[in-house]
This record gives sequence, C-alpha cells and structure tokens, in this order.
Amino acid sequence: MTTNKNDKFNARTVSEEGRSIVYLSGELDLSVAPDFRLVMEPLVGDSDVDLAINLKELKYIDSTGIGILLSILKARHSMNASFSVEEVPTQIQKLFDMTGIAKFFEPQENSQ
Amino acid sequence: MKADQTVTLNLPATADYVDIVRLNLYGIASKMGFSYEDIEDMKVAVSEACNNSVLYAYGQEGGLVEVVFGVNGEELTITVKDEGVSFALSQEASDAPTLHNKELHDVEIGGLGFYLMQALMDDVRVASESGKGTQVVLTKRLTRSEEKV
Repeated sequence: MTTNKNDKFNARTVSEEGRSIVYLSGELDLSVAPDFRLVMEPLVGDSDVDLAINLKELKYIDSTGIGILLSILKARHSMNASFSVEEVPTQIQKLFDMTGIAKFFEPQENSQ
Repeated sequence: MKADQTVTLNLPATADYVDIVRLNLYGIASKMGFSYEDIEDMKVAVSEACNNSVLYAYGQEGGLVEVVFGVNGEELTITVKDEGVSFALSQEASDAPTLHNKELHDVEIGGLGFYLMQALMDDVRVASESGKGTQVVLTKRLTRSEEKV
C-alpha cells in the first residue's frame, strides 16, 4: 500500500540562534519511525545547539517513538547537550509518565 | 466472557496497516460508549500488540495479522493473532522494563511495548506456541462515563 506519509506524520524543523525546535504533527508510530530518525539524526549530533521537540500537534505516539526519544536523550546526555520536549498533550504525557521517560526530560511548560 | 458479536480484520503484517487497526478500534469502541481516554489507551495497547506481530512474527516473506474485536455490553476484547515465529513475551513481561528506577546511562531501548499493554488494559493474555504463532488477548471493561465520544 502506498501511504502518503506526509499526511500521517510530519516533522518540521525551525532553527534560530543556537536552538533547533522540531515540530511534530500526526501519528508517530512504527511505520514512520525511520522518517523521524532521519530528520533527527543530523540535529542530535550537533552539540552546539539546544535541541527541542514540540509535541502540540502530535496525536499519537507508540513505544517505537518513545524508544527513539530515549535514544536521543542518551546520545545528547553523553555529549552533554540539551534535549527537551515542549507542549506535551495530556495523553502523551500520560505515556511518558507511565514508561518513566518523563523524568529524563528537562522541566518544560506543558500544554492543557 | 463470550463476545456477542465479532468484527474480524485480516491485514498484511506490515507497519503501514497498524493505523487501520486503530481506526477500526476507534469506531467500535466509540459505538460501545467507551470514554475518549479509554479509547486512547486501547489504541496504544492494540498497536503495541500489532507492532509485535509486524516486527517479530515473520521474516522477509511476510504474513498476516488477524485482529478480532469481540463486542458485548460490558467489555471489548481484542485478539491479535499471527502465525509466525513465537517470541518470548512472557519473559519480557516479567522483567517489567520501565525506566522509573533507572539512570539514563543504564537505560536500554525496547521492551516498553508489552509494559504499556499491561498498564493500559484491564487484562492481557498471551498464548504463544512454537510453530503456531502468537495470540495476544486484550480486554477493556466498559465503565460508564459522562465524557462520551
């Protein structure tokens, strides 16, 4: 099946003044995990910028997506570089709390 | 409890079809009167069960995943079944691989899927037999809620 992946999941990067924010929208699941990794890879390796992802428009995340966030956290931590999440929807925050990944993110303001 | 009615999906065991399972789940669960939050919980749990079949059941040749929604007035039972190589789910479950007591450098990626299924559903049963594939049965009881979708 050919799925229009852009309809399903999108990652848009905004970079300015030593800070990169990746705005995620749609559903981050197994099928789009490779696309998300591809977007994040060059950003994760750059320790000079503060890296954040904005989840305001993210409708869904599965354990594959959480696993990618975890690997980014590990990579950034080992480089002594920051990685944070912004505007986490309630349902996704619940999954972050349940799995325990929440404590690894630097405190940010949550939406809702 | 025996389901009064069933809806069955047969899907290729690829990642591209897991969202189809979520869409059907949404339709069935909202028709039954589940709350928005319960439906979101079930979406995650069912997707994780499907992910397991997609990732581990079949090799290059591919295969099918069967998803059966068992509907009755009190609960929704979702059975996710493949006929691929069974995998050691039970061991993964007993490890309870959450991150709560771990430091970042000790964390290993993976294993969260089964934990989420257990945390988000009322009951999770896994039957895995060598050569006959894996069957995951997820149950959510219907609690009356004011916030209907």
